[in-house]
Amino acid sequence: MTAPTSTAAPSGPVVTAKLASTSDELMQCFMLRAAVYMGEQHCPYWEEFDGNDYSASHIMFYVDGEPAACLRLRWFSSFVKLERGAILKRYRSNGLFHFMLGWAKEFARKKGYPKAYGHSQHRLWGFMERDGFRKVDDKVFHFSDHEYGAFVCDLNVDEKTCPTVFTDPMVLNRPEDQLDQQGILEKSAERVPTNPHTEWTKPRIQAH
Amino acid sequence: MPAAALTVDGQHVTTKLAMKMEDSLQAYAVRAACFIGELDVPFSEEFDGHDFGATHIVAYLGEEPVGTVRLRWFQSFAMPERLAVIQRFRGHNIGSALLERCRMQALGRGCNMLYAQALPRDVGYWEKQGWRRLVPEEEGAQPKRIVAMVKAVDPNKPLPEIEAPEAVVLRREAQLDSTGMPHGTVSN
Repeated sequence: MTAPTSTAAPSGPVVTAKLASTSDELMQCFMLRAAVYMGEQHCPYWEEFDGNDYSASHIMFYVDGEPAACLRLRWFSSFVKLERGAILKRYRSNGLFHFMLGWAKEFARKKGYPKAYGHSQHRLWGFMERDGFRKVDDKVFHFSDHEYGAFVCDLNVDEKTCPTVFTDPMVLNRPEDQLDQQGILEKSAERVPTNPHTEWTKPRIQAH
Repeated sequence: MPAAALTVDGQHVTTKLAMKMEDSLQAYAVRAACFIGELDVPFSEEFDGHDFGATHIVAYLGEEPVGTVRLRWFQSFAMPERLAVIQRFRGHNIGSALLERCRMQALGRGCNMLYAQALPRDVGYWEKQGWRRLVPEEEGAQPKRIVAMVKAVDPNKPLPEIEAPEAVVLRREAQLDSTGMPHGTVSN
């Protein structure tokens, strides 16, 4: 995940991934999920768009620049939850599932999360196991007409490089999928600190 | 909907103009389900750059968004397009309710012509909704990829017959670049 771009095969189509960071990218995410879950799996709208979309991170995957797959990540305190993974029909069987899980795991690992967790539809259990996930327990549960099992995968966090409260503050300000590259706020530091709102705040603090 | 109340399994079908971001998202989600999920249209063709200059109408069954249509406004006509109803809710005239809502919107704006581009296999559907071919079908003509269909907004003000050849009335819509300008030249 050193660069937001990755190639699946040297001669094949170019697969790229990025953290959705604009409303257009978020829209692409939602539309891929609508296509796959509402269009193919007949999921009702309100179950697919369950209220957790605006407290999550969304990853977009492109094949030759065209939106092809997406994944939603939610951050719990000791693990990241991978969910709402969707690959458009025409891009399946190209190793995108593996690429998607790998990218998400690496993203979470670099953020310092020791575990990735996810609910997988029964038919995909084999793929999960091949990607280093194991069943949490024997429980099978169901929602939105599908049977699921809970899976977890340990991530090898590097204590020396993962972000903590002692990490350089300007590193923590970077776009989350590019923590190792200079971000826009570091460039903004070229401007001198004029503290533009001080005049307005001071009298209010003194009044207290 | 001022028209006779439509119900499916005892639930009312309602239509509304998308006025909030969430409404528009529902319209887009229904299209994505039908066009991208079901018909395998690429994302960038389905979301073609015209969505933010158009009116979107969403049909609901109870709370569930089940259908949508996009209405674009031209100087002399309004153009319904991207008409979609989620597969399992088809066969209940939700599409007609959406087109009727388009007609009412056009009426409210003083626009007297609805114009649509239909696939040849769908011409029967549009005719059942009271539309007609803009240019009468010629006998022995080549099969067409797209058929221009029209409907008078006010049934008391029938549309005049059009003399233009079909190649003119079916001009291909400009594809927009990132600045909103047409890509290259537009051919007739």
